[in-house]
Amino acid sequence: MAAPIIELQGITKTYDDGFTALSNINMTIEPGKFYSLLGPSGSGKTTILRLIAGFTNASSGAILFEGQKINDLPANQRKVNTVFQNYALFPHLDVFENVAFGLNLQKRPKAEIKKRVLDALKLVQLPGYANREISELSGGQQQRVAIARAIVNEPKVLLLDEPLSALDMKLRQDMQYELRELQQRLKITFIFVTHDQEEALAMSDEIFVVNDGKILQSGTPVDIYDEPINHFVANFIGESNILPGEMLADYQVEFVGKTFECADAGMKPNEKVEVVLRPEDLDVTTAEQGKLVVTVDTQLFRGDHFEIIGIDDDGNEWLIHSTNPVRGGKHIGLTFEPEDIHVMRFGEKEADFDARLEQYEED
Amino acid sequence: MKQSKRFFMIPYFIWIGLFVIAPLVLILYQSLTNTQHQFTLQNYATYGTSTTYLHMSLNSLWYAFLITAITLLISYPAAYFLSKLKHQQLWLLLIILPTWINLLLKAYAFIGLLSRTGSVNQFLTFVGIGPQQLLFSDASFLLVATYIEIPFMILPIYNAIVELNPALINASRDLGATNWQTFRRVIFPLTISGVKAGVQAVFIPSLSLFMLTRLIGGNRVITLGTAIEEHFMTTMNWGMGSTIGVVLIVMMFIIMALTNDRRKKRREVNDDEEN
Amino acid sequence: MKKIKFSSVYLVLVFIILYIPIFYLIFYSFNQGGNMNHFTGFTWAHYQELFSDKRMLVIVLDTFLIAILSSLFATIIGTFGALGIAGRKSQRTKSALLTLNNVLMVSPDVIIGASFLILFSALGIGLGFGSVLLSHIAFSIPIVVLLVLPKVNELDPALLNAAQDLGATNWQTFSRVIVPYITPGIFSGFFMAFTYSLDDFAVTFFVTGNGFTTLSVEIYSRARQGISLEINALSAVMFLFSLLLVVGYYFVNRYSHSRRQKQRRHAKSEVTLS
Repeated sequence: MAAPIIELQGITKTYDDGFTALSNINMTIEPGKFYSLLGPSGSGKTTILRLIAGFTNASSGAILFEGQKINDLPANQRKVNTVFQNYALFPHLDVFENVAFGLNLQKRPKAEIKKRVLDALKLVQLPGYANREISELSGGQQQRVAIARAIVNEPKVLLLDEPLSALDMKLRQDMQYELRELQQRLKITFIFVTHDQEEALAMSDEIFVVNDGKILQSGTPVDIYDEPINHFVANFIGESNILPGEMLADYQVEFVGKTFECADAGMKPNEKVEVVLRPEDLDVTTAEQGKLVVTVDTQLFRGDHFEIIGIDDDGNEWLIHSTNPVRGGKHIGLTFEPEDIHVMRFGEKEADFDARLEQYEED
Repeated sequence: MKQSKRFFMIPYFIWIGLFVIAPLVLILYQSLTNTQHQFTLQNYATYGTSTTYLHMSLNSLWYAFLITAITLLISYPAAYFLSKLKHQQLWLLLIILPTWINLLLKAYAFIGLLSRTGSVNQFLTFVGIGPQQLLFSDASFLLVATYIEIPFMILPIYNAIVELNPALINASRDLGATNWQTFRRVIFPLTISGVKAGVQAVFIPSLSLFMLTRLIGGNRVITLGTAIEEHFMTTMNWGMGSTIGVVLIVMMFIIMALTNDRRKKRREVNDDEEN
Repeated sequence: MKKIKFSSVYLVLVFIILYIPIFYLIFYSFNQGGNMNHFTGFTWAHYQELFSDKRMLVIVLDTFLIAILSSLFATIIGTFGALGIAGRKSQRTKSALLTLNNVLMVSPDVIIGASFLILFSALGIGLGFGSVLLSHIAFSIPIVVLLVLPKVNELDPALLNAAQDLGATNWQTFSRVIVPYITPGIFSGFFMAFTYSLDDFAVTFFVTGNGFTTLSVEIYSRARQGISLEINALSAVMFLFSLLLVVGYYFVNRYSHSRRQKQRRHAKSEVTLS
């Protein structure tokens, strides 16, 4: 593991009116990785970014950059650059002047500025746009200028504050690829703030799920998707069927009145838990062969799959993704593998959660 | 940054203290002194008991009202028609341009136009009415004052009309309103803020157009402004002049309170409730 | 169709009324006869009279000096005032400051003139150039604030963050982002302050002493004595000047806009050539 480039240690942010935006945030950011801060609006994810950028101060805790405490370092002296949500391009400057802004402040030689600006524009695929006015650019082009303006300064960390949220769907997906590629090419750290779980899953090396000013879970996209720590994370990331259940013993869980084999362990006997089943893990079969039987209520064609809502005898709704359609009103059976069942304990802290997972994965 | 910002704001705060607050305090203080610089309420007593002063004040109010009403009557249709034109910016500029001609020059033009042998009288003679005493009459004062104030009434009304969402007019038509109904029920209520702004811009200055009363009204019309000017510049009774000044300020606040946008207030109340 | 005609007729009438007195003045400025009643023949004599009138020329220069100096000071003070008001966090402080700012905007000229006169005598400031300049600065500041403030409010705080993020110090943020952004507001503020100063009569009338006169005051005292076609000539010159100001203002605005367009076209041709 490389030496961390940024560390947040016990960061708390309380506003004058008593509102606590962040409480006890601990994060370790390594060089050269793509991180996402994922959470709903108002969760505090942007505040974390603003703390790192230096636009706001922490009430307590330490922010370390390459081991140095930078709590009191003003934003203009930090070796990070930001891509702002609505780009924040200077309307009185043209594209070249916007990108050259930081270099001009550093009083670099004219020739060097020109070369670096044009290179940066090439990198974001806007060659030949140097003398355009900002107002003449489309949203996607403004986005690229904003990125060029930030990376031309060769920051060690690039902060991106929901940069894709103003773009339309198609463009957003293209930009996801481009940003990921850019990050791998520049080999610098990206910290990407988003409320879009798909974006975070697609692009990140590591995701921090943030809610109510706390980091709920961190890990690789696959870890977080497969092993959500609690109800919120399971619900926020991907679609889920979440049901109350009871852990009868290790690898044995009961829900909807039936007992199933599962892959989780390390809990107290008869502990109340919640069970997550992802809709794409549920396979449709005949009513006789199903581990569960539901009645099909509605069915929507989503292009690459059918979204089926079924209702079981207890009245629970089941969301199923299936490649084949079924007829409404029909009884169908659902099957799934033991490892498709994700068991979540109530109020488990991330550290305990990780420890428990490690313990039985070693078995 | 904060400290340097404060530093740069010092002149502005000095201005507020010296040229906004101090003059108001001083004029109030002055109104409470007599010519011997003694504290007294005599000026207010004089003002309140003298029929001359009361009559003058009512007269001034009446003229200001007339000027405002006539200006509004002329300006609203003008602003409305203006908003329907092509090349509006150019026409607007033509409305604004006369306001940049020095007011005294415009008044001076009317001295020529209205004089006993002036062009208007020549015209009246020509059509057989015969020359009239036009200058130094109430009517001439009203005419010139209205002339001067028209652009200041057109502009705010025009702005309000332009801001009006055209979809609202279409909606009104769609719901079966005639042109007149659309105007009365949709356009006018939504542009009333412009009218109020115009009234504010015209009424208050109309109370104090002392140069016009001197040049055009021939001292037949005495406004509050004329009285203040006389007390300060001629009779040197600053105390009484200030008293009339305080009366004028009070009237100004009443007008502003009457013409302040009620809707705005209501919105603020709603905000409070939401919070 | 009929309605359109009515509106056109109405507007034409309004415009005629607005411009008749002005053109009337200008027309008679070329009159050989000494009055504004009968046009007896064309002459430049009144203009010659005007331009050889030393007293009048000094007054014109003084008037412009006052206008330029007062609008310059008012623009600087007012711009910082607007920045300061916008920077206040509390809404209540903001609206209190704005109310104080607007007092001089809504006060009748007579009140401003009279109260400034009391102020100057209380402070022992002699009446003359200084008192007139101070008064003009004072009544021009609020209009500058009102014209700059919307631009300041429009300024996205993210732009300031962006400047800082790119390494700008506070001063650099101010000079490279804030000032260029609000320049149109500053410009119109200066312009309005200038015209306010040129136009003012009532306030100047109160606070000018015997030794100092501006154009408005001079016209007033001459007009009280009756018709003098030299004033007609003066008004023609002033009208021309106002027209030039308007056209100049219009083109400066256009120019700053088109300069960028031109640059772009230039750049485009470069790109296509290479």
